[in-house]
Order: sequence, then C-alpha cells, then structure tokens
Amino acid sequence: MKSFIAKRIILGMLVLFGVVLITFVLTRVIPSNPAAQWVGHRATLEQIKAAEIELGLDKPLYVQLGKYLADLSRGDLGRSLRSHQPVSAELKAYLPATVELVLVSTIVAMFIGIPLGVASAKRKDQMVDHISRFFSVGAVSLPTFWVGMFLQLIFYRWLEIFPLGDQLSMGIKLTRDIPHITGFLLFDSLITGDFVVFKDALAHIILPGITIALYPIGLVARMTRSALLEILDEDYIRAARSYGLPERMVLWSYALKNSLGPTATVVALSIGYTLVNTFLVEAIFSWPGIGSYISSAVISLDYPAIMGVTIFSACAYVVLNLVADVIIALDPRVRV
Amino acid sequence: MTKSLGIIKSIKPRIREVRLSLHLLGRNRLTRLSLGVVILLILTALVSPFIVPHPEHIEKETNPVDKLQPPSGKYFFGTDELGRDIFSRVIYGTRISLKTALVAVGLALIIGIPLGAIAGATGGLVDEVIMRITDIFLSFPPLLLAIAIAAFLGPSLENAMLAIAVSWWPWYTRLIRGQAVSIKERQFVKAARAIGTPPIRIIFGHIVPNCIAPVIVQASMDIGGVILTIASLSFLGLGAQSPTPEWGLMVSTSRNYFLNAWWYSIFPGLAIFITVLVFNLLGDGLREILDPRTRKI
Amino acid sequence: MKLLLRKKSILLTVISIMLVALTLSGCGGSDTGEDTVGDQPKIAFYAFNSEPILDWDPSVEYSNGIVVLNNIYETLLRYEPLSEEVIPVLATEYSKSDDGLTWTFKIREGVKFHDGTDLNAEAVKISIDRTMELGQGAAFIWDPVEEIVVRDEYTVDFKLTYPAPLDLIASSGYAAFIMSPQAIEANPEDWFSQGNEAGTGPYMLQSFKMGDEVVMTKFDDYWKGWEGDHFDKVVIKKVPETASRRQLVEKGEADVTMELPYEDIEALKGNPAVNVMDVPSFQNLLAFLNTEKAPLDDKLVRQALSYAFPYGDVVEYAMGGYATQGRGSIPAGHWGHGKDLFQYQHDLDKARELLAQAGYPDGGLELLLTYMAGDEAEKKTAELFKAELAKIGIHLEIRGMPWESQWELSKNPDPEKRQDLLVMYWWPDYASPYSWLYSLYHSEEEILFNMAYWKNAEFDRLIDQGNEVSGIDIGEAENLYIQAQEILVDEAPSIFAYDKRYVWVTSSSFKGFESNPIYPNVVFFYDTYRE
Repeated sequence: MKSFIAKRIILGMLVLFGVVLITFVLTRVIPSNPAAQWVGHRATLEQIKAAEIELGLDKPLYVQLGKYLADLSRGDLGRSLRSHQPVSAELKAYLPATVELVLVSTIVAMFIGIPLGVASAKRKDQMVDHISRFFSVGAVSLPTFWVGMFLQLIFYRWLEIFPLGDQLSMGIKLTRDIPHITGFLLFDSLITGDFVVFKDALAHIILPGITIALYPIGLVARMTRSALLEILDEDYIRAARSYGLPERMVLWSYALKNSLGPTATVVALSIGYTLVNTFLVEAIFSWPGIGSYISSAVISLDYPAIMGVTIFSACAYVVLNLVADVIIALDPRVRV
Repeated sequence: MTKSLGIIKSIKPRIREVRLSLHLLGRNRLTRLSLGVVILLILTALVSPFIVPHPEHIEKETNPVDKLQPPSGKYFFGTDELGRDIFSRVIYGTRISLKTALVAVGLALIIGIPLGAIAGATGGLVDEVIMRITDIFLSFPPLLLAIAIAAFLGPSLENAMLAIAVSWWPWYTRLIRGQAVSIKERQFVKAARAIGTPPIRIIFGHIVPNCIAPVIVQASMDIGGVILTIASLSFLGLGAQSPTPEWGLMVSTSRNYFLNAWWYSIFPGLAIFITVLVFNLLGDGLREILDPRTRKI
Repeated sequence: MKLLLRKKSILLTVISIMLVALTLSGCGGSDTGEDTVGDQPKIAFYAFNSEPILDWDPSVEYSNGIVVLNNIYETLLRYEPLSEEVIPVLATEYSKSDDGLTWTFKIREGVKFHDGTDLNAEAVKISIDRTMELGQGAAFIWDPVEEIVVRDEYTVDFKLTYPAPLDLIASSGYAAFIMSPQAIEANPEDWFSQGNEAGTGPYMLQSFKMGDEVVMTKFDDYWKGWEGDHFDKVVIKKVPETASRRQLVEKGEADVTMELPYEDIEALKGNPAVNVMDVPSFQNLLAFLNTEKAPLDDKLVRQALSYAFPYGDVVEYAMGGYATQGRGSIPAGHWGHGKDLFQYQHDLDKARELLAQAGYPDGGLELLLTYMAGDEAEKKTAELFKAELAKIGIHLEIRGMPWESQWELSKNPDPEKRQDLLVMYWWPDYASPYSWLYSLYHSEEEILFNMAYWKNAEFDRLIDQGNEVSGIDIGEAENLYIQAQEILVDEAPSIFAYDKRYVWVTSSSFKGFESNPIYPNVVFFYDTYRE
C-alpha cells in the first residue's frame, strides 16, 4: 500500500516536472517580447533593452529554465509582466473566490447528483432513468459559458431576481466591513453572523454555482447509477432483500454506502474539470477568481501568470488524481 | 499492395460486427434520433453555402443598416452588430465546427496512433518513455492544456485545432497501445516476424490495421467534446477570428449585446449544444452497444 | 471509507445551515444595504474598464495608472486644451526667457505632502530629477531639460537645450508628478512600486488589490482645504464586463463609468437616473500601411485604400456616431490640427481607378490586418473595411491579437513577414502634435511606433523644426506641423480613420465632473460631489 502511494507520488512529481517543462518551452517559442511587456505599451528601445537584461532574457534558454525551476522550488512563480507583482501572491489573492465557487458547486452537484443516480438505478430503464441519462449527457454537452449568459439573461435581465455578477454588491462592499478569516466569503460571513453579507454573497454565487455544477451533477448521477446497479446485483444485497429488509433501507444504507467509493472518485476527478470550467464562467460573472485572472493574462500574454495558473491547476489535478487513486486502492471493489 | 490487402483482410471480419452494431444502434429511440440528427448536421455542413438565405453575410459583406434586428421573417434568428443574418451564419457554422473537429481529431490520431502502436509493439524502454510522456499530457486538466497552447501559439482557428490535437492525442496513444500489446502476440504477427518482415512494416502493416477499429469508434465519440472545446477556445478569443461564423466566437462577440439582443447569443449557443448533444448521445449509445457488459441483444 | 462518510456529514450540516439561512433570508434580491447618510463617509465609485493601475511608481507608470495617480499626486501645472489655458497647480506662476531656454516656476507655499513634508523648490527638483534618472515610462518628455536649478526656497529654474514648450510638458498626466523628497531619500528605489505613495494630492492611498481595485481616502491637510462638498473616499475598480458597468451606473452604485457599447448608450440616454456626457478626446484611430512591402509600398495603392475606407459607416456603426472622420493625424481641437488639410472620402470608383493605375486593374490583392484583440470598435472597423475592400477585389484577412503579439509581429526584421495594415489608437503624452508626428511617422533606425515604416526627410525636417520652436513661437510651430501633415496626407502611410469622442456615463447625482481630453479617463475627484 505504502509503496503504491510512494510510486504514485513519484509519478506525480514527474508529471509536474513535465508540465513545467512543456509550459516553459511553450512560453519561449511564442512570438512576443516579454521585455516589451514588462516596460509597458509605449516603451522606448533603451527601456526594452534594459528590461531584457533585468529579466534575464539575454541568457541561454537552459539557464533561464534552471532559474525558473530553482525559483519554483521555493514557491516563486516569477513576476507578472503587467503588474510586476509576484504571481504567487496574486494567485493567493484570487484563489479563495475560485475555491469557494468550486466547493459550492461540487456540494450542490453531490446533493442533486446522488439522489438522481439512486432514483435512476432504482427505476432502471424507466422514465426517471431516461430523463437522468438525457440530463447527464446534456449537462456534459452544454457550453458552460453560454449557460452562464443564458442564466444572466433570464434571472438578471428578465426576472430581475439575481445580480449580474461579482461576489458582492458594490454598495455592501463599500459600506460594510467584510469579514476576512478564511477568505471564503460565505463561510466567513456565516461564522461572524453577518447575515447581510451572507445573504448578498449567496445571491451572487447562485448563478455561477449552478452553471458550474451542471457538469458534475451529470457525472455524479451516472456514476452513482452504474455503481449502484453493480452492487445491487451482489449476493449480500440479495441476501439482505431475502431477509425481508425494507427496500429503502437496502438501497440507501447498504448499497449506497458501498457505492460511494466510485462516486467520491468521480467527484475528486470532476473537481479538476470544474476548476478549468470556472475559467470560462468566472469571466462571464466577473467572479474575482483565478479564472478571471487567467483570462486577463491570456489577453495580455502575461506568460508568467499563465504559467502560474497552469502549473497550479495541474498540481491540483495531480493531487486530486492521487486522492482518487488512493480511494480506489483502499476499496478493492471500486473499479472506474 | 500487401499493405492494403492486409487492411482489407483485417477489416472484413469486422463488417458483420459493424452491421450488428448498427442494428442495435437503431433499437434505442434516443440513439436513433441522435443518429438522424448527426446525419442531418453532416448534410447541412456539406450544402450550407448553397442553402443559406444570405450567403453574402457569412464573410464577405456587412449590412450595418439592419444591425441587431430581432428575429423576423427576413432574418429568422435576427441580425448581429453589423447587420448580418445570424441564421445564415449559424447554419454555415455547422460546416466550420464539423470541419475543424474532424481535422483536430484527425491530427490527434496521426500523432496518437503511431506512438501508441510503437509503444505497444516495441515494449521496453521505448514503451516506458512514450507512456510516461503520455501520462504527463493526460495529467493536464482537460481544456487547460489546449488553452495554454492556443494562448501561446496566437489566436487562430488553425492554432486552436493544433492545440486540441496536442492535448488530445494521448488518449488514442493509450488506447491503441493496449490493443497493440495483445495483438503483437497473435499468430499472424509472429509469423510475419518470423519471415523477417521489418518492424516498421509489422507495426503499420499488421498491428495498426488490426487495432484501429476501437480507436476510430472512440474518435467518433470524441467529436462532440472536440466541438465543444473549439467553441470554448473561440469564446476565450483563442480560436476563430472575426468575421468567421464560428459558434463560440459568435457567442463571445454577443457578450457585449446579449442583454438587449437575446437572439444573438441564444441561437449560436443552441447550435453548439444540439450538435455536441447529439454526438455525445450517439457516442453514449455506441458505448453501450460495444460494451459487452451492457449489451442486450 | 468511514472517514469519508464523516466528512460528508459535516458537509451535510454546513449545507443544511446554508439552505436554512437561504430560506430565512428570502432567497435572492441584491439590495445594496442601507443608504449611507449621516456620519457615513461619502464614497465615490468609478467603475473602470481595465486595471486601475499597474505600477505605483509615479515616475514610471505610463498606463491606466494616471487615473489613480492624478488624484494622489499633483503636477506643477494643468492644461485645459479646449481653451488652451494653462492652470497653476503646485506652481503659482511661471515665466520663460526670451530665447525660451530658461523657464522659471514659482512654487506654491504652504503645501504639504501626505507624509507631512513641506513642498518647496528642492522637492520639485528632486522629483523631476528622479523621473529623468530612472528614465522609464514617459520620462522622455523631459528630454529637452538640461538642468534644474533651485534659485530659492520657492523658485526653480529649468534650463533647456532647445526651446521646448515646458509648460505643456510640466502639465503632462504622465511622469510629471511631484513626490515627497523625504520619501524618496528615506526609502529604497522600489518603495513606490511596492504600493506606497507620498504625493500632495487631495486623496491618499488607503488600500488596493493589484489589478483590481484602489481605495483612496481624503488627505485632511490638502492645500485647497475641504470646505464645501467633496467625497471622503474614492474607489476605482476594474469592472471589465460592459453589462456590469452599465448595471452599476444604472442602479446608482457606481458614480461614473466609461467605455460602454454604443448600443447601451442609446438606451441609457432616456434614463433619468444617469447622465450621458459626450466629450471630445485626443484619441484617434489610425491604420498604418506597410510601406516597405508590396503592394503598399506603392503610394497609389495606399491612396486607393484611403479612398476605399468606409469613413461614414465606421463612424456610425463602429463608433455609434461618437467620432468624427480624421483629418490629418492631429485630432480636431488639439493645436496643430489642420482644418484645411485634404480629407479622403469613401469613393470606390476612385479607389479602383488608382488601383488600375498602380497595375492592379482587378484588385487580386491579399492583405493582412492586425488589431488589438478585445477592442470591439477596432474589430468592427476592420470588418467594415474588409467588406469594402472585397468590392474592389482585395481580400483582407483580419487578425485580432494581444497588443504585445501585434507589436512583435510589426517589428519582424523581415518586412515581408510583417502585417500589411495595423490598426492602433494614439493619444498624446502631453499636449503637443509632436507626440503623434514624431512617434508615428518620423523615420526610425529601429522600429518602435512607426508602424508604416515610412521615411520622409522633408517631413522629418519640418516636424523637428516645429518641435524646436514650439517653446517660443507656437504659431510658427503650428504652421510647420500642418505643412508636414500635407506631405503625410498625400503620401498616405496611414489611413486617418476617426477622432474618437469619449462618452462618460455618470449617475445623475454625480456633479462637478469635467472631462479633460489631455488626461484620458481621469476623473479629478476633488472637484466632484454628490447632490
């Protein structure tokens, strides 16, 4: 077991090194001059030359890579070409909003996805099952960015129920002290009992949260369904049934418990996907997270920032994969 | 000559299986329906330049006098910010999306198949190196690698296709390697090796033709996902360029207008959704049929 | 597995609490909290379309940051281009010698920096010396200055190498700020960049989130005092989505915003809650034609393109009418603008004729145009132009790129690999035609902003001469600049697309705001108040 995990971790490190290498090479072959970006839109030639030396761009590629790796090992992702601030500090500032959004939508996905999966397993090949299947495939087929706009159109423009975007109303932001403990707005405002902020934050997270949750809902429902179907076929469930245990108990307490492994795996894996999906959605909802951060970095070709987000997301993805693998290893029944 | 014969020989026994699959495919109503829509989409893509009411609005002309008109008898889906007919552009967009998706998947196959076949057939260090590289590529969250590559290559539809191919090939490599590993132990491969056929010819003349079928099936099931990825890249400004009527780009441009011109974002978005949906439903159906565990005859 | 389940039950609890809270609070609705009256501070909110500031160093920042810095720092003078008046700020008066080589400024007494230091002549010298020494951003505007001499506590002389218009330079919105000498001396060089300030302006930096928002609070010892109606705090925040900016200003959450789509502006005009201000700007859109590459190395083809450009449609549909066709390279309202310069009109027959003369009777040309990705007006302009060119047999490929890539492509060592047309906005660093004519059209050893790669000795001579006399005889300078533009218009290295107008949308209770085109996008918040 230990050696399995150790092996996975080593492989994970190797993968991350590969990710760094690929992104690094990519950034160096692009037709753009980072030095010119560093000094701004209207630079003089002397300023650009000076910046090339300052940024070490005059050095050979392998020296630059060595420096980047050395910095990276200290958690230093370099400086943004636009703001000249450390990318790691900027990521830190933008991360909580994204994590909050991902968590909320993942939780929502589990609360809708698991019952949906149970229902369609219980009534296999019936109406519920068909609807659930259609919904699952549909959720995966939806262009998230478009769903976001669609929801804005309905709930902001037409029904005027929810705000258009951002994490809080400007009025609240300007006039109240916003609690800042963990950085997660909903959580912080809840534990400090600031219900005005909580309510406002909740109203703001609903539309982007739903938009992002659609994909994992479909995934979780499908996975729960297939895992349950497999388990319901097993002997001990049949035994439980034959003893005359109520069907509800068999389903929810015996079978579901044992099907949570694969579902948890899928959830872990889908978080990685959700994270990237937020990149598309945050821009639409002006959500102040790393998705908005990478969008503006992409527009201005701020490659230390793009690399930073890429490496960070790949890290998160590798860790989540590792978690999923460990779950699988712990529970031999799980087969994904 | 021998090569093509090999392919034909290896494909022949599969024809029956394909026919059976098609038969099964037709039995599920949802799958049948999606197959129909896919065929319709392909036909649309082929003839779209000739059937749209305003072919001049696809690329060539602008018509700013009629900008942002709501849907009407003249413009079924309304008009965009330069007065172009959104209906014509959405219909023509089918052609662009299907074409780019095909090219992107094709490129991914061109990279993925040889690498997977070589890895599987050769084994040893070569296998290890290729598969670890594959692992690295597979460890990027989906879409992220494509975003990064497209961002660095510069925005254009060609670069978006390239970016997708680069982030997609490892799936095929992994798939075909698994097949190749089992096939290389088969009798006919061993025979070929025994008579001294060069390894390259063994790989591409015997192994690849025999394990290509599942890869092709997988690739066709991926079309939906690829179309969605292209639209996403274009939406981020990393794909098609104006005035190309690419769906994702149209939704992206509509962001400045959609709150007052709902039709502008709705129709191109629906087009993406429906297209991706039918391809995915078809893929889902295919998967059920091909998976012996769920296959019901 | 057990562990996982326990975690799950925690999650469950959290969610149930959230759901209960949601029901209790009556889901939805985004009311903005209670109105801020009484002792609450009065806060102005500016919904800005981009990052409010990129570099906090007032000697260096050469981008959006002037929007923030002009409220924290002050300059010696301020320029009102429409009335061509120079207004005293930190200088109370100034004079120049007859040869225009020595400019003497009287410095205002009783002005304090935010760190408590007093303003004097020495502070002015130290600030401008620092800016020149760092040599970054717009520091080059001080190039004509040879030496700054402190004559007494409140008098300072600027010695120039040629008679440049130092009053205009000293009123620049970039790189002309006066900083506390105490702060400069006591701190390392990057102290400012770290997000610190030491200005004399009405507002002090309170807090900021880089690339996102800046909060400023009033400086109690500001030399103009706080009598009358002013804002206590100012927030400038990046709100990139046009729909969000519109929503904020419509709901009265934002006091002022800009860069809304013209479709929205039409709709907002009828809304009594907001005020639409349509004011001139000194920003103009130019399309540079690659004069080092066939076929645009041929003047006739360039002129043909100048005739093919749909000026009227671009003004009306790309800019919603909030622009006027350009005449020469200097926008109307700015000195040096040639009212009688020749103006190309949209005329496809003429364009065809010129193309035929140049040896392309049926067109058959393929050209590449680059513009800055994300700029809706540039994109529409390009698309409208493309449609016109198609009518005369020219295929235009248009490519939206990040500015950095666009610029890098334009500097490719091989002219054949560069773009054929490049669309770009320009605006002046300080109020001088030289800013356009030198940066954009003066021959360059190495490519910087001359995106047409155009070289014309006579043109160079005229504008250099104009620059050198502008400090003593602005009328003569103006004549020279207009003469130079006659060559420019005839040679057509660029298409003069339009002079942009700025459209500000303010909440109707936001008063006292006047837009000054030489300080683009800047709101001097001290002058504003809420009714």
